[in-house]
Amino acid sequence: MVLRVESLTKEYLKGRKANDDISFEVAAGEVLGLLGHNGAGKTTLVNQVAGLVRPTSGSISLAGRDPVREPAFARSACSIQPQAHAPLNGVTPRQAVEMLGRIRGGRRDQVRRRTEELFAALEMTDSADLPGQRLSGGIRRLTSFCMAAVEPGSLVLLDEPTNDVDPVRRRLLWAEVRRLADDGRAVIVVTHSLGEAERGVDRVVVLDEGRVVALGTPTELRRAVPGELRLELTVNPQAPALVAPAWAGPQATNGNRTSIPVPAEYTQEAVGWAAQLRTEGLVDEFALSPVTLEDVYIQLTAEQKEERHDVAA
Amino acid sequence: MTWLRSYGLLVRWSAVRLKFVLPLMLIVQTLLAVGIVVGFAFLLPGIDQQTALYLSTGAPALGLIVVGMVLAPQMVAETKTSGTFEYNRTMPVPRSAILAADLSIWLLTSLPGLVLSLIVAALRFDLTLRVSALVVPAVLLVAVTATAIGYAIAYAAPPALASLVSQVIVFFALMFSPVNFPADRLPGWLQAVHQVLPIQYMAEAIRQTLVVPPGGLSATPFLVLAAWCAFGLAVTMKVMTRRS
Repeated sequence: MVLRVESLTKEYLKGRKANDDISFEVAAGEVLGLLGHNGAGKTTLVNQVAGLVRPTSGSISLAGRDPVREPAFARSACSIQPQAHAPLNGVTPRQAVEMLGRIRGGRRDQVRRRTEELFAALEMTDSADLPGQRLSGGIRRLTSFCMAAVEPGSLVLLDEPTNDVDPVRRRLLWAEVRRLADDGRAVIVVTHSLGEAERGVDRVVVLDEGRVVALGTPTELRRAVPGELRLELTVNPQAPALVAPAWAGPQATNGNRTSIPVPAEYTQEAVGWAAQLRTEGLVDEFALSPVTLEDVYIQLTAEQKEERHDVAA
Repeated sequence: MTWLRSYGLLVRWSAVRLKFVLPLMLIVQTLLAVGIVVGFAFLLPGIDQQTALYLSTGAPALGLIVVGMVLAPQMVAETKTSGTFEYNRTMPVPRSAILAADLSIWLLTSLPGLVLSLIVAALRFDLTLRVSALVVPAVLLVAVTATAIGYAIAYAAPPALASLVSQVIVFFALMFSPVNFPADRLPGWLQAVHQVLPIQYMAEAIRQTLVVPPGGLSATPFLVLAAWCAFGLAVTMKVMTRRS
């Protein structure tokens, strides 16, 4: 196990827990997605693992050692892409990535080759020699990713690596993330982009208000919500309100779009019903799709909110 | 060995990032030197030997003070706002190597300006320098102390406050400190304040090594500066290694 976190708690102020009793593990070759709202405690968690923040209680084992007692070791065992932009003013991506590779202990020729490979893989060779202040936000973010990936530690921590990145390069980036894992690194990706996480990660930890509310593979998590499918209807604005059949789960409406959970065994009925509605002109369009991680995430965090509300009441 | 390797790479990393700022520093320091040597002379009715001595050795001292205690902390404040400070914290290098690399860069930055300001002074006044061999350690000590104090302020205070404090320092050093004029022109209480502050000793260390007084060098400025230097470095290291 590259990383083992046990009962980790961090209180910045008395009674305000940024991380609350968090436990999970990441193995070599694995990509772990860390999901959660803004302020859910994701960055706090990452910083503790990297030896930058001291936990209030609990333990961390990184490659068999303790980052709290040996922060210098933690910094060399982890390569981090922080959430903030890397310092690139006056520096070209190539200079920055090669320099970080060297600072992380890489040999000059090896670092040069690896930098070239990464730039080619992310299709950013054209921007490689432009000074930082002339780069787009997406290229800056990719450069920051390369700075973490050029000479990776046994644990690679990526804090929102795809922000500002265009859709095509996002896919390329996820391919590079997978390659890091295939090369034997453990990778943690902090992200809000659930669609991407669904395709790119092996397991997911969902944090809410500092606590782990779900942990498992995307498939395992999807099983946790009612109905394995979603029927999405684009309702005709002039039509009267829909009356959903008995098999339908609780519907959610957003503007003229309505989403209805459908158990898998009612697939045919659902399609039949939706087709009927369209024939009658009540809906303009429909789609039946599997539950996404986003549905799971929204449900989980909403449940947590209700629970807290109940406790408070 | 790893320390030296980290140090070398960090110096290069800073140098690459600062190469746009360096020419600006040179210009600022040169203007400052010209301002003091030429401009201050307008304020005074006549330039005697002592005034010339104070103005021409005060200019390089102020140059070092401005770079170390004004420009350096402003750059640190900027790195804190831009996230560079946090980024550097994640790098697998000894904290002391980061600080040493920064100090080296600032030292290199202030040297050309120092030389230029001396040239300006020499052109303006017929000053005979009696340079001591100790001028090199004196300049080093003044530059490192100024930067160490500047860094301590910038690291310990929030960015906006650090910028404000550094503005106050330049004003105070220029107008209310015995750098360009003898201390006995100041009121007694201000003289007493300067017995403790490093500014007067910075000016003295530079002055007495450029134009060695007949009685020889005094050790006091060096001792006081060494203490301030150690204090500044200690505060900076403490903030750099702090883990919340």
